Amino acid sequence: MNNNIWLLTFADSISIATTLILASLGALLTERSGVINLGVEGVLLMGVASTFLVSDGTGNPWLALVIGTCVGALLAMVHAVLCVVLRANQIVSGLALVIFCTGLANFLAKPIEGKPKRVQLNAIDFGPLSDIPIIGPLIFGHDLITYVTWLIVISASAYMFRTRPGLTLRAVGDDPATVDSQGLPVAAIRFGYTMAGGALMGLAGGWFMLARSAAWQQQATTNGIGWIALALVVFAAWRPLRLVFGAVLFGFTLQLPFTLQAEQIKVIPAAILPMIPYLVTLAALIAMSTPRARAVLGAPKALGQPFVRDER
Amino acid sequence: MGIPIKFEQRIDSPRWLILAVPVASLIAALLVGSIFLLATGHPPLDTFNSLLRGSFTTHRGFTNTLGLATILICTGLAAGFAFQMNLYNIGGEGQLYLGMIGGAWAGIALGDHFPGYLAVLLTLLFGALAGGLWVTVPAITKARFGTSEIVSTLLLNYVALNLVNYFIFGSKGFFRDPSTAFPQGRKVPDSVRLDAFGKTQTYPTIFLSVLLAVFLFWLIKKSEFGYRIKVLADSPKAAGYAGINAPRLTLSVLVISGALAGLGGAMLVVGPTGKLDPGVAGIGLGYAGIVVAALARYNFVAIILASVLFAGLRVGGDSLQISTDVPIHIAVIIQGAVLIFALGGEVFRKYRIRIVRPGSAAGVAA
Repeated sequence: MNNNIWLLTFADSISIATTLILASLGALLTERSGVINLGVEGVLLMGVASTFLVSDGTGNPWLALVIGTCVGALLAMVHAVLCVVLRANQIVSGLALVIFCTGLANFLAKPIEGKPKRVQLNAIDFGPLSDIPIIGPLIFGHDLITYVTWLIVISASAYMFRTRPGLTLRAVGDDPATVDSQGLPVAAIRFGYTMAGGALMGLAGGWFMLARSAAWQQQATTNGIGWIALALVVFAAWRPLRLVFGAVLFGFTLQLPFTLQAEQIKVIPAAILPMIPYLVTLAALIAMSTPRARAVLGAPKALGQPFVRDER
Repeated sequence: MGIPIKFEQRIDSPRWLILAVPVASLIAALLVGSIFLLATGHPPLDTFNSLLRGSFTTHRGFTNTLGLATILICTGLAAGFAFQMNLYNIGGEGQLYLGMIGGAWAGIALGDHFPGYLAVLLTLLFGALAGGLWVTVPAITKARFGTSEIVSTLLLNYVALNLVNYFIFGSKGFFRDPSTAFPQGRKVPDSVRLDAFGKTQTYPTIFLSVLLAVFLFWLIKKSEFGYRIKVLADSPKAAGYAGINAPRLTLSVLVISGALAGLGGAMLVVGPTGKLDPGVAGIGLGYAGIVVAALARYNFVAIILASVLFAGLRVGGDSLQISTDVPIHIAVIIQGAVLIFALGGEVFRKYRIRIVRPGSAAGVAA
């Protein structure tokens, strides 16, 4: 009985990791190109809101996800225009995006607050495969987008480390001057990856809405998942495959409070329970910045610095 | 190739741009707001008119605005002070809650044992102390390991929010009003609370906020402490040669920043709320403080003006929600949009921008 609950918790952690993987992969791609986008939480929320609105209006979850993804890319474009083209402060721009998106999401979705969603993503039916003990619920109990996410993250890793454009991506974040001297358009590359990253964040929000939330709720929807995703990028040392492990781990911390509460397990005081995900993230962030961890980490060297050729 | 725009660095920017950029940003942001209002079937002009009535053009509205600005100045100063050293304290929200917790604790526990004015001072002091303490973990890890203070201070906002909710909704402890079944904060004694001016929502704490802004302005521009901050911000290397202890300075700047936001929370306790009030979380004063500071370009005196403007947007938005069916979030949209446009407009101050026609001499040179 108790085993079953823990198995479910793990299965749920793997499921919720989908949002974390997508959102932090979006942040990772952006950061690898040398741009830091702190707007994740806001873009995620707009992904949630726009996906809800479209799915509510049309009843078509796939269309809703596509729109959510596009909205994410468009919002990231605002960030790209400010930071890549106009060379604005990337930190402040990201925060401005969070505030703008939070306001917009809540404004647009206010009339439908608390309305239950019309459609949802269901787990794919794998037939007998889902009945395999342990592996069944853990691996064969998810919806299509979760598997697509796994595919995306594996391809992203292969793309980054095995292909020429991937090499350019890494180079543009580490040493834009060299990329520039080879005649490649640094600004255009960064612009593109910032938008691609935003698209993934939008999809992350859309999936979160259709697979994990019951209704559109003002304020509490994403609950800081976007910020956790940002910390996850550091935790994963800017490597896509490591994101997966980190996302499952952080997903577990998001799931744990619910399980402990449902099971009336009182190992942790009730006051601390809802704080667990944030405290664990904070602890991981600090652990990853100790000198020893820093030596093996590889933050893009030109992260957050606009590329200015004229001044060289 | 690439983008056909050429940026020429300005040596000094024309004076008129310093005013023109924020004003143009505000107008552009109102236009963005209008688009969303129109799209949802609300008349923009009427909406902005009632927003103004609720925030600036009536006595009641304006004093409400000043009341909220009092707190917003504190969180704005908190963000602005950290930024003097290129530090981003995004945790103003959480530090504000802690300031409320610390202030409410001092007010309830100590309020009856000290004469009124001293009790008020103690409440403010404990609020600032709690806000400063809340930022110590991000501050120490930033100073020691260089841990990103942006994410660490932000994560603690969620911890602080849950702490407030636990004190009021999750337990029947010290901070909970024991006299009602309805979960709300226990009131501090009346002696700890200041009187508002007349029948307004403006409290004498506004003088403290303004005074602090002026003091910090002086501190950064004229004092030796401010000079060290500037040196370290401009060139960590030079600071090293000058014998400036960078980790210690980082720690003090972040803790002072947290204390400023905490003070804002305590001002709520001695003023409008009189208790630990979880409802404050909905306002997002800490987050708005960052916007205010960025909009004021981290100039402490300009923060006062930006705070009044943003407080007005918020207060006006609140009255909109009551008098019309426009959601208050229109105010948040406008706040975010102002900052986005101001950031974009900054480029005009820093650079002279030329559109380069392909094939022209300048284009080849670039």
